[in-house]
Amino acid sequence: MIGKVLVANRGEIALRIIRACRELGVRSVAVYSTADRDSLHHELADESVCIGPPPAASSYLNVPAIISAAELTGADAIHPGYGFLAENARFAEICERVGLRFVGPASGTIARMGDKAEARKAASEAGVPVTPGSEGPCGSVDEVKRVGAEVGYPLVIKASAGGGGKGMRVAEAEAEAEAAYLGASREAAANFGDGSVYVEKYLERLRHVEVQVLADSYGQMVTFPERDCSIQRRYQKLIEESPAPCLPEGVREGLMAASEDLIGSLGYEGAGTVEFVYADGEFYFIEMNTRLQVEHPVTEMISGADIVAEQLKVVSGERLEIPDDALSPDGHAIEFRINAEDPGRNFLPQAGLVEVYNPPGGPGVRVDSHLYAGYRVPPHYDSLLAKLIVHARDREASIRRGLRALDEFAISGMDTTLPLHLAVLEDDEFRRGGVTTRFLSDRELESEGGLLRLVQHFG
Amino acid sequence: MPEIDENRSLPLREVEQLVELVRESGVGEIRVRRGETEISVKARPEVQATPGKDQVPTGTQGVPEVIEPDLSPEMDGLHAVRSPVVGTFYRAPAPGEDAYVEVGDTVSAGQTLCIVEAMKLMNEIVADVSGEVIEVLAENAGGVEYDQPLFYLRPDEQ
Repeated sequence: MIGKVLVANRGEIALRIIRACRELGVRSVAVYSTADRDSLHHELADESVCIGPPPAASSYLNVPAIISAAELTGADAIHPGYGFLAENARFAEICERVGLRFVGPASGTIARMGDKAEARKAASEAGVPVTPGSEGPCGSVDEVKRVGAEVGYPLVIKASAGGGGKGMRVAEAEAEAEAAYLGASREAAANFGDGSVYVEKYLERLRHVEVQVLADSYGQMVTFPERDCSIQRRYQKLIEESPAPCLPEGVREGLMAASEDLIGSLGYEGAGTVEFVYADGEFYFIEMNTRLQVEHPVTEMISGADIVAEQLKVVSGERLEIPDDALSPDGHAIEFRINAEDPGRNFLPQAGLVEVYNPPGGPGVRVDSHLYAGYRVPPHYDSLLAKLIVHARDREASIRRGLRALDEFAISGMDTTLPLHLAVLEDDEFRRGGVTTRFLSDRELESEGGLLRLVQHFG
Repeated sequence: MPEIDENRSLPLREVEQLVELVRESGVGEIRVRRGETEISVKARPEVQATPGKDQVPTGTQGVPEVIEPDLSPEMDGLHAVRSPVVGTFYRAPAPGEDAYVEVGDTVSAGQTLCIVEAMKLMNEIVADVSGEVIEVLAENAGGVEYDQPLFYLRPDEQ
């Protein structure tokens, strides 16, 4: 096992990694910005180094400062967490070049999967179903129209370098193809410095399902039962659960086999997630995230695996240690992202002093959070305050447990997404299971006696 | 959203009063503690930063080392020159050469005080005020963090 890991992140995920290190007897180094002097990751790590001022570009994205901190503290490896430098192929390459192990796949794999058109091609070549559309990038309006004639409208034009809904346009019919192509390309160039786009058939009613994967350098590959992440707002996941409810028989096996085919063809090492859309009984590859994900605890709860510990074993050149029974789901788990956003005011980000913090407890409840009473949420970073994960015998029991735990969860000093989660769990369609990614945009939030309620709008 | 945390910022007015009290009473030192905040005001010439607090953690102890900027000497009119980068602190331009500055030297604004090396880049750190070098706070060839005080200068009277 490696001796010392520098954690190039902050918040709950930095704590998650430090905790895994401590259990494995690996020393941890936290890096922090001056805005995070009072943060738990800085307190709980064995060592810590201040790397810069509050803006992420000068601290958590500051490659020279992070590499210098690793060299000064004698770290063997860097764990990037998620966000920040986690999918930055150049950063991974710099780590490789200066002799630091990067906790993740090789930089070439990150680069290949980071280019969405290229990832689609790789999946297709590995025999993984992709949404009907263009082979690779589309260089002209004529090409877009040719794909449209072949697969039918509506079409969606997406940025190759994109993500998070940026550089994306829908063309309902051929007449809209030109404007959509030019708009997506312009937005892609402005946001990502790369205007190349590709085209897919636009699936309106779909579910987002994904497969957690792990692979070591001995060729051992593990694919876990799928997670369903269809409860989203503006392409940001809010609730994730595993296994996905109401999937026909055979779909799970199909998803797991397709994911294994893809990572096998890539020679993948470490943890990753293969993302799919699922519509009308079929699934299609959309992209691969070459990193640890926010929602990894959902899989940990139903499998008993410690995904972060496995990552550290892989980067140490050791073998994965996943028991065989981890591959069929043990019960059902749901994760709720508690964000510092006010659902009553269009999810306005909140910052400030946490006055009261009382996380829920009891059976089947896990909370991953960097909060404590008296902590001040800085305005510089993302709004994730805590992840509440509940685990129970089946979906119905985990929904009841979720309602109980959400109700117990007390955070005062700022508005959070806690009441929204309660409203989702009270929704009949959600309780039946199998909702699409349109679930939240199809509904209005109404305030009722201090509680929030979701009301579906029709037509 | 203000960046300064009221809980952590020093109660400047009270520090001023303490400085006044030390001066008038002629005692060597006054310490005041309230909650987590402890203020210690010492009469000159014992103005010194606590040794050992100014290095990047070396990792020999099992406890996290919290590096807090030691503000008290600055209350006494001293100016801290802080590291703008994470790196290795060098007092001289090259091994075997004289240090850029020594305690007691008078430096002018813009004058190089030291080098902080980060990823093979030599960053010359310059004095941002003119004045006298009172103390060198970091160890030669040791690691320094972002924002870590490197020197105390006593600025010239305007």
